[in-house]
Amino acid sequence: MFKLDHKSIVIGISTVASTALLLTGCLPSPSNANEAKTGASATVGSYNIKNKTAIDGGVTYERKNGEYAAYRYNEQSTKGVHFGRTPTANEIAAWDVDARPDGLGLPEGEGSVEEGDELFETQCASCHGDFGGGGNGYPQLTGGNQDKDKNGIVITLKNQRLKPGMDAPKRTVGTYWPVATTLFTYIRDAMPYATPKSLSDNEVYAITAYILAQNNIEIDGVELDDEYVLNAEKLKKVVLPNRHGFYPNIDGPNGPANVKAFFANRAKNIGSGTRCMSNCKDPGMDGKTEATVMKIGYEMKDVVPPYAYTRDLPPEVEDKTVTKGEKLYNANCKVCHATDAMGAPAVGDTEAWTEVRAKGFDKVLYNAVNGVGGMPAKGGNEDLTPSEVRDIVEFMIDSSKIKN
Amino acid sequence: MNQDFEIEESTSMNRRDFFKKTATVSAVAAATILAPSTVLADDPAIMHHPKWGTSLGDECNANPYGLPSKYEHNVVRRTSSLMSSAGDMHAAISMTPLHEQKGIITPNGLHFTRTHNGVAHIDPNEWRLMIHGLVEKPIVLTLEQLKRYPSETEIHFMECPSNGAAEWKGPQFNSVQFVRGMMSCTEWTGVRLRTILDELGLKPEAKWMLAEGSDGSEMSRTLPIEKVLDDVMIVYGQNGEALRDEQGYPVRLLAPGWEANLCVKWLKRLEFGDKPWYAKEETSKYTALTASGKAIQHFYALETNSIIISPCPEIPWTDLKVGDLVEITGLAWSGHGTIRGVDITFDGGKNWVEASLKGLVLPKAWTRFSYMYRYEGKPLLLASRSYDDSDNVQPTVNQEKKVVGVEGVYHRNAIHTWAVSAKGEVNNVQIRS
Repeated sequence: MFKLDHKSIVIGISTVASTALLLTGCLPSPSNANEAKTGASATVGSYNIKNKTAIDGGVTYERKNGEYAAYRYNEQSTKGVHFGRTPTANEIAAWDVDARPDGLGLPEGEGSVEEGDELFETQCASCHGDFGGGGNGYPQLTGGNQDKDKNGIVITLKNQRLKPGMDAPKRTVGTYWPVATTLFTYIRDAMPYATPKSLSDNEVYAITAYILAQNNIEIDGVELDDEYVLNAEKLKKVVLPNRHGFYPNIDGPNGPANVKAFFANRAKNIGSGTRCMSNCKDPGMDGKTEATVMKIGYEMKDVVPPYAYTRDLPPEVEDKTVTKGEKLYNANCKVCHATDAMGAPAVGDTEAWTEVRAKGFDKVLYNAVNGVGGMPAKGGNEDLTPSEVRDIVEFMIDSSKIKN
Repeated sequence: MNQDFEIEESTSMNRRDFFKKTATVSAVAAATILAPSTVLADDPAIMHHPKWGTSLGDECNANPYGLPSKYEHNVVRRTSSLMSSAGDMHAAISMTPLHEQKGIITPNGLHFTRTHNGVAHIDPNEWRLMIHGLVEKPIVLTLEQLKRYPSETEIHFMECPSNGAAEWKGPQFNSVQFVRGMMSCTEWTGVRLRTILDELGLKPEAKWMLAEGSDGSEMSRTLPIEKVLDDVMIVYGQNGEALRDEQGYPVRLLAPGWEANLCVKWLKRLEFGDKPWYAKEETSKYTALTASGKAIQHFYALETNSIIISPCPEIPWTDLKVGDLVEITGLAWSGHGTIRGVDITFDGGKNWVEASLKGLVLPKAWTRFSYMYRYEGKPLLLASRSYDDSDNVQPTVNQEKKVVGVEGVYHRNAIHTWAVSAKGEVNNVQIRS
């Protein structure tokens, strides 16, 4: 039982020692250690890289000579494969209802803050709280302090809950959302939650106006009072307080290039690791204090279905459509009685069973219990109780009657 | 001897078994007299014909669509009110039981599921996909027409960028299913979007693509053209069959390695434009607020990541004896490329050894790692650290925190540590300042 591979003992018992044998200090960057192979004979996990600076900061792989990373593909041209049809102008208009921050795509229509107030109360407040202030577990739409620091950052968004009891950053339409057209399209397409797409464009403008008003948003320096009427022209002018709170900058012709540059500098912008192998200090620490082992303070156990790891039978769910007699028949008798091939009267064969029934139920049951002709007692299963045999016989007779 | 126990046990068996059992017990009793010191109690599971060996099984095709063994009924997705809005499970997420994950392919029924307005049930006969905007020839496709295009099949993980988000401020769940279960990995089949676009003719000013779902939330996201033309697919097949409703039946977008949220389910429309759309799920959500007060937007690729699955809180080492040789195994993945390797630490990150990768090593897919460990019965701080072919290395909790803070919600990929006690119990901990 204890025949051990000596080498594995060494590695297993002293990880520090084995580390010292294999590696010292920090390794060079992994790609230097394992150069990607070129040519058609890539080894497992090492594929021909096409682009080391893809837009997401990752790599892309060559599609060449019928090989794409670990996959093969058909190199024949797919040019000319064309299925489907051109959509009609009406079809495109019916589906192309998105709207962008520049207002492109916003429909005609209008709605006032006051109308929005009424609609919000009946359609939205049950989830989003009175005035959109939250409190019911669904997203809070209004509230939160929109004050900015000297660099134009919304102050509440700098909150970091590093210790219990600290304030969370407030992420509402007024403090966090970048553009207001999103509000319009989202309400129109996805709200109200249980009956999405049930509001008219006018109603959506009204609710949008109400939410903007509750967030103290001004349009062209004008406060949104009860009488204020919102339409496409005004909506696209809205500049939300956190419009410039996001990076990288995706707007304008350089948008994609900005994104690429941002993700290329992952260590600085997102936080990449370092591959130290021995006597490592946590690079995230200041070097003076030791990191501690934080245990679970309050364990979340509220899970559905509850945690369970046993391999047992699930609680029996009574299948009301299958009688006890049928279940027992399937398990014990069906192999001979399903067809007449075995010489037994086939269940469902009304003619054969009219003949059987003519003997009288008691006689049929007696035969089933004690055997008859080629059939052994209880069909060969001596463990069946007399009442179980009765259930089976009743099922077999019942299933072989002429159905009306 | 445990004769009494065995006879009592046999009352639940049938009579034929009972007689065989009695005979066996006698034989064992005789053997005990001959060599008492070497005889262990006989295992009833071996000594008696089981019920399934003494009766007729189900008919061959009793389940025309096969089901797992009834004994596996606890291997299921789980969720929590914490993962929902006010306990409402229409906008919620369910977690894959990673502790039961075999290999790298998640069965369709266990694939994690995120919905924003419930699981839509689409009639495939009425499903249409419209591709329009800045293309020369807009098109509308039925499902049959989409399937006429040449298909491609790839294995990719799918991960919600919120995976692990409950633990930015400290460990919360003592379960690998909840610590990392917002991800799965399956084989996807569909059409490479580029194959269709080559025919439609993308206009040069097209820079962005809007992908829109047809569920109640009309889930939509903006993707950059570079990715669209590289490896984005329109998929209808998952592990050899149609997508499940929960995964967007009949068709979803697949942006390999990127936020599962970008892989729009119940796909309805792709529009090409010169500016991004600022959809709700790429502004108010799925943006990562950092300590600066500004938020990262268009955060696409899931980071290099890894987790040890055996041992884990669900599969502890409490049955091991000192000296047992045991495999440590887990999953590594990266949305940036292909996993190059995984290191393992036993002392909370001071010293590391290299684990072996095993099985398939594919781009943007789960990759298994393995390390044979001699169990010592001592407390450990056990963790894994992956790196990939884009030079990305998994950071420590403190490294990640230092750059992005603790309020970002998304893209958490810090090294995950299990504390193994002297008794072999496994608990979720974090090594942090």
